[in-house]
Amino acid sequence: MPLREILEITWLSLVVSGSAAVLALLFGLPSAVLIYLKQFPGKRFLIALVNTGMGLPPVVVGLLVSILLWRTGPLGFLQMMYTPAAMVLAQFIIALPLVTGLSLAALQQVDPQVMLQAKALGANSWQMVVVLLRESRMGQLAAIIAAFGGVISEVGAVMMVGGNLKGYTRVLTTAVVQETRMGNFRSAVYLGLILLALSFAINWFLTSLQQKGADRWKGPRWK
Amino acid sequence: MEGPALEVKNLKYSINQRLIVEVSYFELRKGECLVLFGPNGAGKSTFLRLISFLQPADSGEIYHHGEKVEVKSGQQLRRKIVYLLQKPVFFQGTVGDNLLVGLKFRKLDQKEQEKRLEKIATVFQIESLLHRYPEELSGGERQRVHLSRAFIIEPEFLFLDEPFNGLDVQYRDRLLADFYRLRKLTGVTTILVTHVRQEAAYLGDRLAVMVNGRIVQTGTPEEISALPATPEVSGLMGHEALVEGEVVSSENGLLEIEAHGQRMYAFGQHQPGEKVVLTFRPEEVILARQQPSTSVRNWFLAEVKELRPLDRMILVSLDCGFSLKAFVSRASADELGLQPEKKIWAGIKASALSTWPGSQEERISHRE
Repeated sequence: MPLREILEITWLSLVVSGSAAVLALLFGLPSAVLIYLKQFPGKRFLIALVNTGMGLPPVVVGLLVSILLWRTGPLGFLQMMYTPAAMVLAQFIIALPLVTGLSLAALQQVDPQVMLQAKALGANSWQMVVVLLRESRMGQLAAIIAAFGGVISEVGAVMMVGGNLKGYTRVLTTAVVQETRMGNFRSAVYLGLILLALSFAINWFLTSLQQKGADRWKGPRWK
Repeated sequence: MEGPALEVKNLKYSINQRLIVEVSYFELRKGECLVLFGPNGAGKSTFLRLISFLQPADSGEIYHHGEKVEVKSGQQLRRKIVYLLQKPVFFQGTVGDNLLVGLKFRKLDQKEQEKRLEKIATVFQIESLLHRYPEELSGGERQRVHLSRAFIIEPEFLFLDEPFNGLDVQYRDRLLADFYRLRKLTGVTTILVTHVRQEAAYLGDRLAVMVNGRIVQTGTPEEISALPATPEVSGLMGHEALVEGEVVSSENGLLEIEAHGQRMYAFGQHQPGEKVVLTFRPEEVILARQQPSTSVRNWFLAEVKELRPLDRMILVSLDCGFSLKAFVSRASADELGLQPEKKIWAGIKASALSTWPGSQEERISHRE
């Protein structure tokens, strides 16, 4: 497989899974904060749904998005089927409950007394949310790591909604499947190694950020 | 005369129909340290949280310098109050970061933050702790940092929930002294919750005694100790049940009481023939080798039953036909040659005895 093609596939994997993870963060974190702070009927049921969503099989998501985006489907007019956008949508659906559920779990770990003390020291509602996120930031980063790790390595959904079109929607996971089917084990192994290396690099970066987040407080910030 | 800095009227708060707090009137005067004193579970912390706007009351009104505080403007008043929880909890970060949290909430500029941090670190002698993490500190150090976190804000009101609880005696005494000094220096209007009588007497300009969610008496520690309003307050102020007797005569409030075949004198509003219980504070009892001719009306010849060292004093249990307790210093105990079975004179002023209607059994069950 030519180097150019490998680079294209790698780049597309990064863009699709990165976008899905970022979008999941943008929607999932505020959702988790809202679920945590607000009292409403059916809250437990919603949390149970979110937790169930954390184990969504990618092929089921692929099927659902395919039905939605199919030419005759409710969103068929968008003509998104077999495009990178469809792959982002599918991975976003996989990542959203992961980010929401793990963020919510992280928020629930924050000692309520800490929040009460923040209020008692004069924090307004927004400052309370900032304190809440800051106190749970390790867990929030863990949620992003889990979400990105989950989507970069999945193959079912992107295969179904992306179609594994060469030079357009082929990503690392679908390429590994393709090369294996064709008996090109050497290429499949290379692509698999790239996927692993990429996954490790991103996780290493996020983990460093997470640990740096802990270390950041060690400096005399008040100076 | 300036009106109260904070007034509370008809404040009620209940959980599952059970009334937790019911305060008809409470006032906090500018610059004073009011000690909210009462047994555990009396509703003191809840009351403090209600008037700090940290949790909503069922009903009631709060006035700030005579102006009624609306629920909407409660946020503004909340910024003038710093309420410290009983258990020191810290945010992630160093001690320095934690001290600055309240100032950051109030968006003070960097220079002012640094200035105040330097000042408070010096005053509380915590300079060496600023770079450390709260979890690395000892219990006493944590409490010291906790207190500093309130003073650095320079609030109008300081509400402290049992800030000296759970500290070892030596550290607690040091922190108490520091707090006393700094509070006098800053003049910050303070409510301090405690169930420890010594703390209440030492720190409180005034006490508000809370029992079962109600404030049953307010006054200076001396006033309340001298004239407790109810048997509960009497018990809380360290009064011990002495003896049950019957009023023989009453003249201008001075009662002559017969108890265990002895005559005693106390002040109170009771009628001849009425059964009363006498209470006293062991620290008001005087011991002497011989009965001195003083203004003290009640003298009993007693036998020493037991000597028990308590902190800096010795608790002497006496038998005068009824039980009596007295506190003496070690030096006094040596000087008097106190030892079990020794005979000694015990005296107590009529004004140091409190009288309550009813029998001793009723009173004891009341205290429990």
